[in-house]
Amino acid sequence: MSPHSRISRRNFLLGSAALAGTGPLLSACGGRTRAAAAPTGPPRRGGTLRVGVTGGGASDTLDPHIPATNPDIARVRNLYEPLLYRDHDYRIEMLVAESLTSSADGRVWTATLRDGVRFHDGRPVTPADVIATFRRIMDPDDPKSGAASLTMLDEVVADGDRRVQFRLSEPSSVFDDYLGQYSLGIVPADFSLDRPIGTGPFRASTFTAGLQSTFVRNEHYWRPGQPYLDELVLINFTEDDARINALLSSQVDAIDQVPVALVEVLRSDERLRILSSETGTWLPFTMRVDRPPFDDVRVRQALRLVVDREQMINQVLSGQGRVGNDLYAPFDPAYAGDLPQRRQDIARARRLLAEAGHSSLDIELVTAPIQAGAVEAAQVFQQQAKAAGVTVRVRRVDTTTFFGENYLSWDFAQSFWYTRNYLPQVASGSLPDAPYNETHWNDPEFIDLVTRARRTVDEAERHSLLTRAQRIEYERGGNIIWGFVNQVDAFQVYVAGLVPDRTGLPLSGYSFREAWLGTGR
Amino acid sequence: MVRLIARRLVISVAVLWLVTLLVFVATLLLPGDPARAILGQQATPERIAALHAQLGLDAPVWERYLNWLGGVVTGDLGTSTASQGPVAELLGGRIAASLVLLVLAAVISTAAGLALGTWTALRRGRRADHAVSGASLVVAALPEFVIGVALVVLLSTTVFPLLPSVTLAPPGEPVWSRPSQLVLPVLTLVLVVAPYITRMMRATMSEVLDSGYVEMARLKGIPERLVITRHALPHAIGPVAQVIAIQLAWLAGGVVVVEFLFRYPGVGQALIDAVNNRDVEVVQAITLLIAAVYIVVNLLADIVGILTNPKLRSEVSR
Repeated sequence: MSPHSRISRRNFLLGSAALAGTGPLLSACGGRTRAAAAPTGPPRRGGTLRVGVTGGGASDTLDPHIPATNPDIARVRNLYEPLLYRDHDYRIEMLVAESLTSSADGRVWTATLRDGVRFHDGRPVTPADVIATFRRIMDPDDPKSGAASLTMLDEVVADGDRRVQFRLSEPSSVFDDYLGQYSLGIVPADFSLDRPIGTGPFRASTFTAGLQSTFVRNEHYWRPGQPYLDELVLINFTEDDARINALLSSQVDAIDQVPVALVEVLRSDERLRILSSETGTWLPFTMRVDRPPFDDVRVRQALRLVVDREQMINQVLSGQGRVGNDLYAPFDPAYAGDLPQRRQDIARARRLLAEAGHSSLDIELVTAPIQAGAVEAAQVFQQQAKAAGVTVRVRRVDTTTFFGENYLSWDFAQSFWYTRNYLPQVASGSLPDAPYNETHWNDPEFIDLVTRARRTVDEAERHSLLTRAQRIEYERGGNIIWGFVNQVDAFQVYVAGLVPDRTGLPLSGYSFREAWLGTGR
Repeated sequence: MVRLIARRLVISVAVLWLVTLLVFVATLLLPGDPARAILGQQATPERIAALHAQLGLDAPVWERYLNWLGGVVTGDLGTSTASQGPVAELLGGRIAASLVLLVLAAVISTAAGLALGTWTALRRGRRADHAVSGASLVVAALPEFVIGVALVVLLSTTVFPLLPSVTLAPPGEPVWSRPSQLVLPVLTLVLVVAPYITRMMRATMSEVLDSGYVEMARLKGIPERLVITRHALPHAIGPVAQVIAIQLAWLAGGVVVVEFLFRYPGVGQALIDAVNNRDVEVVQAITLLIAAVYIVVNLLADIVGILTNPKLRSEVSR
């Protein structure tokens, strides 16, 4: 062996080390160019779709009513269906029910079951099944995830063989929204986890917690022709690199959650397609309005003025998002879109802080990797706040600690919410009795408006109440909502039928009934 | 000899017990409890209370520890908090999968390391020796995840798309039914471990080859092959066995990172998951297992050392 070859071997190894540092980034640059064309024409029947899903573990479940992680949600979305849910544009879509109507006072809602909806074993869905489903969800000894937002539900009773009545303890003008949750899937009265049966487009085949689950086509599915796939495989991935490498080496056909830094790199690979969806998902900073210094509304306003929202979108999300205006629920028909867009205004922020007696403010921000971009947002905010003389000490903890005993009592922290409409979001996080009132928001005027809006069946009147409620949050709320995060996923070019989805759930809302495979595979 | 092994075994049991105590305390010190970890942001007070009751987390800490210890002594590893199933069932397949990885990596790296070390010792100062030394030094300096990612880039996704980059065995099918998926994880572990063995083997072998008895054997006209296998190798093996033991013990822990990277369904991945879920029973079972591997491997190395060293051998038997 000549000295030259020795050097080249060393160089080779060093080169590999350099490659390794950039990981999947570089692995996307080169690669095969055996690019198939994107499928066109009518959907093709058959085939197996293999999907890499982020997260999950030993606590994975097939339970329809307690999905916690992304793989859980993906399974629930394909096995079960609620009475109604949200379509890709975040409009209400009837599923197991064909209609849902409210009484004039908003106290009784009547659902009519869709004709011909059958469970996986071929049995038709009856009112008794719906009643049993809600009994399972509301079980006082073991309340499921959906129970917290259904507190106004008094009882569910049958009304003939195709109708079910939901009787409420207080009037609710948007009860349809509360029923439209993926964790409220209708199951048979004799449901057991050993036989996970629902009305969803796929039937459960195999399931191994923490690893993967497989599903086969439900031949009884009520939508003609769908699903197109014969088989669906959901594969858990805990690590970003492994998931992306699996896509690059064609071991999976689609993956959720592409790190935003890799979007452009993957986009340049002609074997792949990026699916970027505008959503109502938000990643706020949460200030506790009952704790100093945030109990002074001027401090809250100042910190909202400190944020450069465009820079946040560009640096934290690599442009994959939209600027926020300290308001949530952007897809709600009552969204207060005419309030002026708040922009960075350091001079005004300084003035407000001086008036509040905090010419040099020193605060601690608790952050954790609760969602891609959360920690980065905290760091960018830290830099931006410097300009206004605010010292932000970023305290990073791990996710379990973040949601541990101190969750809901951090003075200044972050949060993460999927798309919701206004009133359900308020019920979850902006009322004194809400389960996740992170900002300890307790504004009498706001509570009064919201309570009235909940009971107001007339839409125009309700909208005007909600607009006023939003103005209060816009002026003195505890959330800094700097933007809405796009959901970015990726799939092989031969996969069709995956479309942008506003709910914030990845990959077409994990709705694989519409997915099909082209011939390029 | 037997007494020595017996004494070492008794100490090992005490060490294992200490490990369980330390791990138990450590998992308690981790902030957050299993119910909150499992529920994440979906945790409502009602769900947490229900799960606490289900998981038996209301019992005092010492009671939970004693219950668990009693179970282990009688061969019952307890119930996993996260999966609600027996730990043994959760880990059974994963232990087998990790063992396959470990044994393959151990056998290949030991054989390769010994052969390469001997070969280079015989070619001391020549180009081949310098090349192997340099390469092994560089590879030894790289952490396992760097080697792993480099191999993925080189052999799976970019340069030569030959091998799968992650392990995707369907449920119920053992991982070894698809050998191509084993190549990259095993190769990564081999590349991490083999350089140390090679270097140690080369060093001890060089020393042995310079010694008086090897010179004597050569002068007697014994064929070179016999000189090496009969006279040199047995003397070099003793010290090298210690290094091999340390490397194999490292493998038991090193699989965690490699399994994570290649999504290999072994105990490493289960351990990460269990720590995230604060699943004390599973963490305990896996750490016990890894500690046991450490102890057994070190014990074996000592026995090999004694057997190959006549001085020690006679001392012990006396």
